[in-house]
Amino acid sequence: MQRASRLKRELALLSTEPPPGITCWQNENQLDDLRAQILGSADTPYEKGIFNLEIVVPERYPFEPPKIRFLTPIYHPNIDSAGRICLDVLKLPPKGAWRPSLNISTLLTSVQLLMAEPNPDDPLMADISSEYKYNKQLFLINAKEWTKKYASQQKRASEEERNQSETSTKESIPQKRKGSNINKKEKKSRLDS
Amino acid sequence: MESSDSSDKGNLDQSEAQRQSQLDRLDREEAFYQFVNNLSEEDYRLMRDNNLLGTPGEITEEELLRRLHQVKEGPPQQNSDENRGAESAEDVSNGDSIIDWLNSVRQTGNTTRSGQRGNQSWRAVSRTNPNSGDFRFSLEINVNRNNGNTNPETENEPSVEPSSGEDLENSQSDSEIPRSESPSIRQPGSERSTSEELTTEEASPPRGQRRARSRSPEQRRTRARTDRSRSPINPVSETPRRAHHNTSSQTLDHSSVNEAEGSSRTRQHVTLRQHTVGTEMPSENAVLFSAPETRPAPQAAGSSETNGSSESATPGQRPPTIVLDLQVRRVRPGEYRQRDSIANRTRSRSQTPNNTVTYESERGGFRRTFSRSERAGVRTYVSTIRIPIRRILNTGLSETTSVAIQTMLRQIMTGFGELSYFMYSDSDADPSGPTPNQNVDASEPQNGGGGSSSNEGTDASSGEVYEGGNEGGSTSGARREGRNTRGSVTFEESGSLPFLSLAQFFLLNEDDDDQPRGLTKEQIDNLTMRNFGESDALKTCSVCITEYTEGNKLRKLPCSHEYHVHCIDRWLSENSTCPICRRAVLASGNRESVV
Repeated sequence: MQRASRLKRELALLSTEPPPGITCWQNENQLDDLRAQILGSADTPYEKGIFNLEIVVPERYPFEPPKIRFLTPIYHPNIDSAGRICLDVLKLPPKGAWRPSLNISTLLTSVQLLMAEPNPDDPLMADISSEYKYNKQLFLINAKEWTKKYASQQKRASEEERNQSETSTKESIPQKRKGSNINKKEKKSRLDS
Repeated sequence: MESSDSSDKGNLDQSEAQRQSQLDRLDREEAFYQFVNNLSEEDYRLMRDNNLLGTPGEITEEELLRRLHQVKEGPPQQNSDENRGAESAEDVSNGDSIIDWLNSVRQTGNTTRSGQRGNQSWRAVSRTNPNSGDFRFSLEINVNRNNGNTNPETENEPSVEPSSGEDLENSQSDSEIPRSESPSIRQPGSERSTSEELTTEEASPPRGQRRARSRSPEQRRTRARTDRSRSPINPVSETPRRAHHNTSSQTLDHSSVNEAEGSSRTRQHVTLRQHTVGTEMPSENAVLFSAPETRPAPQAAGSSETNGSSESATPGQRPPTIVLDLQVRRVRPGEYRQRDSIANRTRSRSQTPNNTVTYESERGGFRRTFSRSERAGVRTYVSTIRIPIRRILNTGLSETTSVAIQTMLRQIMTGFGELSYFMYSDSDADPSGPTPNQNVDASEPQNGGGGSSSNEGTDASSGEVYEGGNEGGSTSGARREGRNTRGSVTFEESGSLPFLSLAQFFLLNEDDDDQPRGLTKEQIDNLTMRNFGESDALKTCSVCITEYTEGNKLRKLPCSHEYHVHCIDRWLSENSTCPICRRAVLASGNRESVV
């Protein structure tokens, strides 16, 4: 309802006082399609990684939570290969904990926290989750590897270039496909577990 | 805006255009808030309840103003609107006007409205109890035989006319039509315990004549009662009976005996009762449908239904009438549970003619339809809808009328999901079904008696699929898809009766209320509200992240958190917790509001 005016304010806030390690901006000047970057916090396997996120603001925002998704692959028990995040504040009650007093800034901070503190008891990625639980060393190695592979500065830079050469439309479609494919696998693996 | 999000990303021109449109939108939003903030509380409520506020940024201020004026002027206009004679004028307004009127009634309370179309005139009466949220509505449709079909029983005609005149008068003069009394009688508290007695006793004076005529009114009554008492226990059994009615109506035979009787008008009340037995759940919805039907009943049949025939013999009866009685009742948590359970067992009908047969049914399954609200666990909500429909066959109801009734009933029922089961067993299953009991047999001849050929046609068609325009509740949208498929009822001469839109009205409103975890409007309105004053510490509404300005209307939740009224109302219509502290609004809210 209050989407536009509220978003305007939020964006202003985000640009003037962004939470540490987080930046957020409008994508193509669209008010309802935002991009964000989260820097991997120190002492996490994501350290020095730069993770891009997509934030789609629904029409009913703030009465519905924005949809936040990782564009950068990340090795995390609560984030699936399509970048979807399992986080209560991203869902509507009664299941979720979204409420209109939250905002994009707080959500991104929550995501950042989630990165630092995975919740293996509510896993989205069953295998990563069990790895996190029972073989943390291996998990750390894998996560670091992914960070290096997909989220490192250089990687980002080259991706930027590619993005510019390609139209973003093309970019987004393959991503979505990838997402849906993996989703199926996802569900399966969840069932298995 | 959202349509653009994936596909157009690269396009600069478009993004420019989008930007512009966003700016426009922002302007409109600002205007919206200004507008809303300047509204008086009454106006605000009026507009909100009528869903006139639209979406900020999409609706322009001018439009809002226009709507406000419309809404404000609406009720009086419609009330004064008494041109029953002006058929053509009413034609246009028919369905929608009723809806408008209904909407206005929600605020204004008691209203009467009438109109005429073709040979049918309708009168709608409603009363609202703002405190309890009870809402009662009755719609009566008179079919003027003169314009209508000529029936075998022409004799009745002269007598009918005068009475119809009466009806008209009544409707114009005020809302207290004889029939409208029924709702009051049905007042939850008193009614329930005594209901059975009431039923019998309350037969309206004018009908006394008929009664006298009837051979054994008492007997019949008792019979009817027995029937009724039985039915609540086993709802299922009821269905077959009703089915019979349908079947009977379908039968085309005219028995001469019946005809003699047939001149008579019989009334039958078929009450379908759907009740939620919601002891476990904090919130419950009960919808009561009563659909009395009148049908000519041959005395020979000897079942309770036969009784009606005696009535019918009386000349000077009223014109064929269809009465719709809807009751919507809200119940706050825990308050009425007792009553409801009583309600299951008993009910009274003031309009009862001699041979009233009341079928009651209750189904716990119905609850599931409203499960969303139950899930909330916080909100208690009960709505009661009763729809008695009186049908007089031999007076020459046009086909459309009876079809309309059926259709509407069915729509309403299908609208409630589970209920459709009832309707189905009632109407669809019937024709094919064997006629297991007495009643069936009785009813068939009866119909024949009533039977002008036109009637039969009607009923037959009503059973299954109706030809013609409106699909049940199609307007209500995707959510109701399921229902639509089930109750794909189409209705001949869609415009001829306001039924359909009525059904939709109620369905839609039901929908509103049906929001999963939200509070009802009453519950929201019970929360305290105040105007923001400069003296207040500077605060920001955390829903829209906007600082309050002088004159803003704030609502304070029981947890002391405050928001813009329009912001929090919307959230609470779908949720039941405070946006800041997530404390449940309702539990504590109730405490406060009750005191």
